[in-house]
Amino acid sequence: MKRRTLLLSGIGAAGAVVVGWALLPPRERLGGVDALPVAAGEVALNGWIKIAADGAVMLAMHRSEMGQGPHTALAMLVAEELDVALASVRLFDAPPDRLYGNVATMVASVPYFHPRETEPGNETGPAKAGQWVVAKIARELGINLTGGSSSVVDSWEVLRVAAATARARLLGAASIAWKLPLQELVVVAGVVSHASGRSAHYGELATMAAATPSGEVRVKRRNEWKLIGTSPPRLDVVAKSNGSAVFGIDVRPPGLVFAAIRHCPMLGGRPGAVDVAPALALPGVERVVRLGSYGGSAPAFAVVGKTWWHAQRGADALAVEWRQRSAGALDSAAIVAALEARARAAHAADGGFTFHSRGEIAAADALAARHVEQVYRAPYLAHATMEPINCTARVAGGKVEVWAPTQVPGLARAIAAEAAGVAADAVTLHVTYLGGGFGRRLDVDVVGQAVRVALETGGRPVQLVWSREEDLGHDFYRPAGVTILRAGLGADGLPTTLRITSAGDAITPRWMERALPALAGPVDTPDKTASEGLFDQLYGVANQRISHVATRMGVPVGYWRAVGHSHNAFFSESFFDELAHAAGRDPVDYRLALLKDAPRHAAVLRLAAERAGWPGFGLSRPLAGRARGVALHESFGSVVAQVVEVSIVAGKVRVHRVVCVADVGTVVHPGIVAQQLEGAVIFALSAALHGRIDIEGGVVRQTNFPTYPMVRLAEAPTVETHLIDSTRPPGGVGEIGVPPLAPAVANAIFALSGRRLRDLPLRL
Amino acid sequence: MEIFVNGAARELADDLADPALPLLWALRDLLGLTGTKFGCGVAACGACTVHVDGAAMRSCTLPIGKLEGRHVVTIEALGSRDAPHPLQRAWAEHQVPQCGYCQSGVLMAAAALLARTRRPSDAEIDAAIDNVCRCGTYPRLRAAIRAAATAMA
Repeated sequence: MKRRTLLLSGIGAAGAVVVGWALLPPRERLGGVDALPVAAGEVALNGWIKIAADGAVMLAMHRSEMGQGPHTALAMLVAEELDVALASVRLFDAPPDRLYGNVATMVASVPYFHPRETEPGNETGPAKAGQWVVAKIARELGINLTGGSSSVVDSWEVLRVAAATARARLLGAASIAWKLPLQELVVVAGVVSHASGRSAHYGELATMAAATPSGEVRVKRRNEWKLIGTSPPRLDVVAKSNGSAVFGIDVRPPGLVFAAIRHCPMLGGRPGAVDVAPALALPGVERVVRLGSYGGSAPAFAVVGKTWWHAQRGADALAVEWRQRSAGALDSAAIVAALEARARAAHAADGGFTFHSRGEIAAADALAARHVEQVYRAPYLAHATMEPINCTARVAGGKVEVWAPTQVPGLARAIAAEAAGVAADAVTLHVTYLGGGFGRRLDVDVVGQAVRVALETGGRPVQLVWSREEDLGHDFYRPAGVTILRAGLGADGLPTTLRITSAGDAITPRWMERALPALAGPVDTPDKTASEGLFDQLYGVANQRISHVATRMGVPVGYWRAVGHSHNAFFSESFFDELAHAAGRDPVDYRLALLKDAPRHAAVLRLAAERAGWPGFGLSRPLAGRARGVALHESFGSVVAQVVEVSIVAGKVRVHRVVCVADVGTVVHPGIVAQQLEGAVIFALSAALHGRIDIEGGVVRQTNFPTYPMVRLAEAPTVETHLIDSTRPPGGVGEIGVPPLAPAVANAIFALSGRRLRDLPLRL
Repeated sequence: MEIFVNGAARELADDLADPALPLLWALRDLLGLTGTKFGCGVAACGACTVHVDGAAMRSCTLPIGKLEGRHVVTIEALGSRDAPHPLQRAWAEHQVPQCGYCQSGVLMAAAALLARTRRPSDAEIDAAIDNVCRCGTYPRLRAAIRAAATAMA
């Protein structure tokens, strides 16, 4: 048989789908055989897959593991297509290359498009064109970013095709070497064999495979999946149960010294006179390094010591005369009042930037039977990742080595290079496990600081760790927000008009300035994250105007899990609940009446009502003294409904049970999806019941867990998760459980007590 | 100065072994036992939980000067790869960890609980596991503790 025939007749015999290249990610996302560094005995088959001498599949891991399970889920995609055991896939840090940039997140942040315009497969012309242009730009930029619930979304096609391409090359090589037709070859656990008795593992075929064209590449059909859709053990569970998992704070290069930090306590302030002598007089303290601003960091002093405790004692001993922000001390209560004034002014005058409008709102308002208008507020919030902010760096001989728990390795590398005054290719970056990210580690401030300190330690590596007090006092906070919602109701109680005006700081322009300055523009462009969850909701209201007033209040703001959705869902889903009650309708029925053109959302809501035993959908009633609340929200391409059951004991809200239903499209690992939904519910509950950052005199009042409390085991509800069967492409998972929780709790509190809480956190 | 960790006497360099040095930093920065985590420094989150003479204690506020004659056990010695502690088996069975950072402390608190209370009630579990987990693994870790208690019975 001719070689070409051998190659082309192959995998189709196994019944796989032939996918045209037009439908696949462009070839440049696969990378060439020279895209990866190889050690002796390894062979790269494209920019994602190497084969080790022993036949193991090695995957260039381009996404950070901060708990959401991408290491496992992405390895599953590759193991599926290559027919190897998941546990045998070896992960290594993807090198710095545009190939590993995150396209999906940038496409998702294209503003102005309503979800109705971007429904997969049914995109409108302008949306399709806009997404194509942004995808093109995203590929050029190649920013490697773990966030936006995008790891599987972004890698779903490219990794399966990369693995299928590698498989095709390996089988092609066997076919040529053995002079046997492709369709007679089988693969089991990475061993290619033929009925004649010939067999070889991938390692034995790899060198030849690298020179063998893949031919037409086919990915498995849905009904051929053996791994996708199952829940094998996460790859990181054993290491995370015996203390051996290495987080950023755990790296121990030889000669390591430690550094602690003290930032100017007043946000926007700066240091004046400083006396370092009391610090240097302490045993175990080596030196003090004055730090400017790196990636948005506040001015600070780092103290280097023999252990972190010695360093922190030194930092505590520094006598610094701190100077207040020149534009005046920041005060969160005054900021929230100012936001409300800005929102009210814009609401009255059709001001702000309009993210979505439809219909003729003024005309329809005139016909409305009545109106409901309310003001909602959300506070600043800190991330409080369990692993404190840290980075380890060594600068020696013109080379920089960095170990960082980061969500953005390329940006970390760039700021390390800048801080050390070297070219980016002089920086070697190791991404460790992240002890929580939640968006905090999209910022690289600590990387710049650590490298700066490492310039002073004579070639020895230094590990800079922030105390919890420094973390809570110098975060990039979720912005505070005030939102005014007004609806006109028709005679049937359903809304005919919806006008929403929100006010708050835009995150993306601030983040670009500090983390990606090369791309920051002179003027802020509208930030979709400010209005996401408001302008893109799918209730059928014919006349809408959804606007946002972008402010600059001076408090450092950043991405916090679910970003705009995290508070905007509270505003919108509490408000729709108010409308249902104003109309005298059941909150689930009322929402369903508004979802006639959104069957996917209606199905999620219906299932949640059924599973929770909502009146009319099931039989179970809440126990005496308890009530239920519901909320529905789409974010990151997935739809989630939650029904919560609450009681109030001694003036405190207690959430007992949360039923959580999600449509996340195709599910790669149902166990991880359930785990994420459960965890997000509890993460969101901490924010809903306790979360607030207050700033007085420029200083954050909350300093540590006793004053920035978290839900603990005794306060944790049971969480029941259910997933909708779907053949859509995968949607996001890591953040989607957060948004509906706060409004569902607020709605339950209303059902129980008649009190409508419109401010977060929810306080009776 | 010497402290007893995981069954062995460990020498700490005299110039660094300040009696006020919290055990956490002796473990992490002097002995290289990094499984025990720093989370808050004020004994409020439990990430640094170890066993001292079998009792769960928060090592971030425990000065090494108070450890004379006492035995410290860290997550590194809770079980082994070949013979994991029943809790570690349950952790895998229930797929508890997400980011994983707080899990050493939770496991040590849970192991101390099960060592003194064979079949803890929910209230006893709530009281013993006062650790902060930002990822929200609480429902799973409760189920895993129950499973381990059953396995150890």
